Amino acid sequence: MKTKQFLIIITFIAFLAGCATVAPNELVNARLAYQRASEGPAAQLVPAELHKAKEALVLAEQSFLKDSDSYKTKDLAYVAQRKSEQAVALGAMAADKESKDKANADFQKKQAAIVKQGKQDLIDSEKRAADAQAQAELDKQAALKAVKDKADADFQKQQAEIVKQGKQDLIDSEKRTAEAKAELDKQAAAQAELDKQQAEITKQGKQDLIDSEKRTAEAKAELAKIAAVKEEERGLVVTLSGSVLFRSAQSTLLPSAQVKLDQVAKALPAVRARNLIVEGHTDSRGSESYNQGLSQRRADAVRDYLVQRGYPADRIQTRGMSEGSPIADNASPEGRANNRRVEIVIERMQPSNP
Amino acid sequence: MRHVFKFKIGIMMLATTVAVAAIIAGCSTAPLRTEASTSGIRAAEEVGAAEIPQASLHLQLAKEELELAKGLAAKGEKKKAASMLLRAEADAELAVALSRGDAEKSEAQSAVERVRQLRQDNP
Repeated sequence: MKTKQFLIIITFIAFLAGCATVAPNELVNARLAYQRASEGPAAQLVPAELHKAKEALVLAEQSFLKDSDSYKTKDLAYVAQRKSEQAVALGAMAADKESKDKANADFQKKQAAIVKQGKQDLIDSEKRAADAQAQAELDKQAALKAVKDKADADFQKQQAEIVKQGKQDLIDSEKRTAEAKAELDKQAAAQAELDKQQAEITKQGKQDLIDSEKRTAEAKAELAKIAAVKEEERGLVVTLSGSVLFRSAQSTLLPSAQVKLDQVAKALPAVRARNLIVEGHTDSRGSESYNQGLSQRRADAVRDYLVQRGYPADRIQTRGMSEGSPIADNASPEGRANNRRVEIVIERMQPSNP
Repeated sequence: MRHVFKFKIGIMMLATTVAVAAIIAGCSTAPLRTEASTSGIRAAEEVGAAEIPQASLHLQLAKEELELAKGLAAKGEKKKAASMLLRAEADAELAVALSRGDAEKSEAQSAVERVRQLRQDNP
């Protein structure tokens, strides 16, 4: 309001002055500058500066009234213009400062809000993390409990199975034990029976041996009456003279030989269980091959006769011994007569195992 | 009593005469007071007026006006010189104000931009 009044006054003065004379450019510019300054933010923000501009313009106007075109009026008007421009500049600077202060305040406020929000976010985050951790702990405990429960259940199940299996094993074991015991008893019985049989066999064998030996002794005694009998390593040897059994160079038994052999055959049943070896022997006359054949044929003739008389054929072997086993000197007729012979070897009986 | 009064009147007239004579003598011989202008120009230079186009113009004007004032003073036109110095001081002060205003404006723009960026980064 005051500014408007001042401008009106200034205009009036200018009008009065204008009636008298034309205002210099400096003063015109000063007036315009002041008007511009007073209409801007300077009036509100830097009134002191605007007041200085006003005083400067008043001085210029007064000078103009005194001396309109003097250098002093122009200089004062110039100064007044600069003061107004300075007020404008300082007003703008104040506005900028206000803007800056406001921006800084906003910045700090926003920063504080960000920090506050950050803190809140941090608190929320920590809370969420704590909740998550607690939940994780609960989940972990639940998982552990589930695992433990499962392990317990498995353990109990396994134990039940083990007990069941143990019982079954026990039953099976008892069954097998009973079976084994039965088998053992059976085997023991069988062994006992076997032992008994073996004992019987041994006993029987011994008895048989005794009987056999007895019969052998009897047969020996009986044979000793018929022919020469002698005990040798290979058994009991009954020697029949060749002149009694065969004609010279023949293998057919003489009737007298059959009598002798009948006697021998009668004695042999006592040793029926033994093997016989019938050996034919010749003297040294004749060729070796001939004597071999002759001795074999004679042994065979004796064996055939004994078989004919009932001795088991499978227990009689024959051997043609030729002239290889003389029992007397072949140089004399008596010696050769003794060498022509048939020997019946009754093999020793092998005693049974006890 | 009348003698005393006359004496006092005489002394006052003498003093006035001496004072007027001293003023006249001072006006005719006193050097041009350029301190205000010079310090104003220096202040404008220190705040970087030479780097700001508008402030630079007024700084230049202030310097020229100072030189003009010195020239007038040298010619013996002391009143004109003193009046010219007022121009130089006014331009120097305006150059300072414009320089500070420019700096303030830059700072304000930076502050506003900083707030804008902060708000943009943290909606």
